[in-house]
Amino acid sequence: MYKILCLLCIVVLSGCAGQQRATNNLANSLNTQGPEYVLDKLQANEPDDRDIAQYHLNLGYLQLINGDFKSAITTLSLAKREMAVLEAMSVSETAAAGTVSEIYRSYSGYPTDRVLIHNMLALSYLFNQDIDGARVEMLQADVSMKKLAQRKSVRGQLASVHLLAGVIYELLDERSSSLISYKHASELLKERGIAQPLGLKKALLRMSYKLGADEQYAAYKKQFPGLAKPEVNGASQLFTLYFDGVVSNKQEKAVMVPSHDAEQLIRIAMPAYPPLKKRPQRATITQGNQRLTTQLIENLETLVRDDLDDEYPSILLLTTTRALAKYELVDKANEKDSLIGLLVNIATLVTEVADLRSWNMLPSNIQFAYLETTENEVLINSADNVQKIELPNRSQNLVLINSLSEQIFHYQQN
Amino acid sequence: MKIKTNFCFAMIAALMLSACSTSVERLDSQEQVDLSGAWNDTDSQLVAREMVEDALSRAWITKFVKQEGTEPVVIVGRVKNLSHEHINTNTFVANMERELINSGEVQFVASSAARKEIRDERGDQDLNASEATRKEMGQEYGADFMMQGQINTIIDMDGSTQVRFYQVNLELVSIKDNRKVWIGEKKIKKLIKNSKLRE
Repeated sequence: MYKILCLLCIVVLSGCAGQQRATNNLANSLNTQGPEYVLDKLQANEPDDRDIAQYHLNLGYLQLINGDFKSAITTLSLAKREMAVLEAMSVSETAAAGTVSEIYRSYSGYPTDRVLIHNMLALSYLFNQDIDGARVEMLQADVSMKKLAQRKSVRGQLASVHLLAGVIYELLDERSSSLISYKHASELLKERGIAQPLGLKKALLRMSYKLGADEQYAAYKKQFPGLAKPEVNGASQLFTLYFDGVVSNKQEKAVMVPSHDAEQLIRIAMPAYPPLKKRPQRATITQGNQRLTTQLIENLETLVRDDLDDEYPSILLLTTTRALAKYELVDKANEKDSLIGLLVNIATLVTEVADLRSWNMLPSNIQFAYLETTENEVLINSADNVQKIELPNRSQNLVLINSLSEQIFHYQQN
Repeated sequence: MKIKTNFCFAMIAALMLSACSTSVERLDSQEQVDLSGAWNDTDSQLVAREMVEDALSRAWITKFVKQEGTEPVVIVGRVKNLSHEHINTNTFVANMERELINSGEVQFVASSAARKEIRDERGDQDLNASEATRKEMGQEYGADFMMQGQINTIIDMDGSTQVRFYQVNLELVSIKDNRKVWIGEKKIKKLIKNSKLRE
């Protein structure tokens, strides 16, 4: 019985751990191989049922940055539904996580995932020429953020989501909602200690001016004294979002120690993020004499680390519970037969793996820039790649660029 | 011994997770089924029926018949989805159209997309159909009124409990002079409690 159980555990767990490693390796190869190659590889994978939400999150994001917007909408919508179902706690999974391994829990997404998915879906809808669908996602994002904000922290509160909501409402000429969203983005950036991008300062001035909110406009004018009065002159608007790099993967930190009676080995494995070393790359937008650089709106590296820090107490509790249960099991097996004890001990060591799953193909950070121009051509430079985009007179444009590919996605309305 | 048994049980349970099979049951399309609490076919049918009943019971229709001596010709325009959900307003518009046509109190003309297809066919008939069967251009029925509207939602929540409030606003506008002859409103409130536990 013990031998079969040990063997089963080792086979199942090594499969799960192998899946984690494969996904992490694919995420690591995004920078060098590009999103098209990684998308092909990922699609060829057969995910475990417990990793299905993580799989769909990564797949949907890759479909978005490869320009397959319809598939991105389908895949990310699936991920959204799966995460909603998995929000409820599973008794059997928690029991398995507390006795066998952490990776027996289904991946249900971190707060950042649950909010950022709406951003990715909104962009997919927008580039699929469905701005109403994008608007729905922004409303849902607001509900998700309110739900998480009830815990009185900035956990799950994303400035980039508020910013995109502001842009979408502005495109729909819903000025009041747009100003409110820009204000939320600005407040969040202050709380996170991130400098306000020039494009956001201009948005606050522009929307308060257009809305006729004189007091707010005066306050922003005082706050940003160097900025010119917004003109309602029929210039084209260009909102630029830049996805830079790939977010870090979790790594396993493990220790193996002998028990107090030196009769068995105990292994503790915890997930952790490596120290942050990446420096953000910028994209530039050039039009005549104007040259703008994209500026940080969301540092996802910080957000994923904060999410893990918040989860740490429950991970620690489960790890300790598991260590105790495994110790007892090996002890009992030892009493029966030292060979069985040894086998069970090996099984408990092999099955002790950290949960390294995350939405790990996301960009490392999100940047933003805003340009108003009467010219019809703009040059965009990202990752040593210069491309020209056309802006018809008085058009409103949103472009998405990323450091992983040369593709520029462009939503335009006149 | 007890710990060992419990541990074995937990391990076997963990290894035998998710072994459920799919089942399909045919339901009556009129049967009310609420799974997620989101806007569904029941809401769409209910709102369309009540709104049309309300619209056709108001004074504008008798006034129009008295004045013009014929039933009004109506077209359903765009129903904007301003809600928190991806609602396919086409099915709602189709429900409205069905209720309006079946009432027998108004005449109904095809939507702009359908009209375009019919005009293409008429153009084709001009070239290819026999004179006896050919349908001429310029014989279309012009609508007197257009029905337009929007679906809004307000969501309030506390933990895993949510109250979803849907408000559907429709209005009938005279195409001749932009007069609004009828405004209808239907509200639906749903209390959704999500389980904190799952299998």
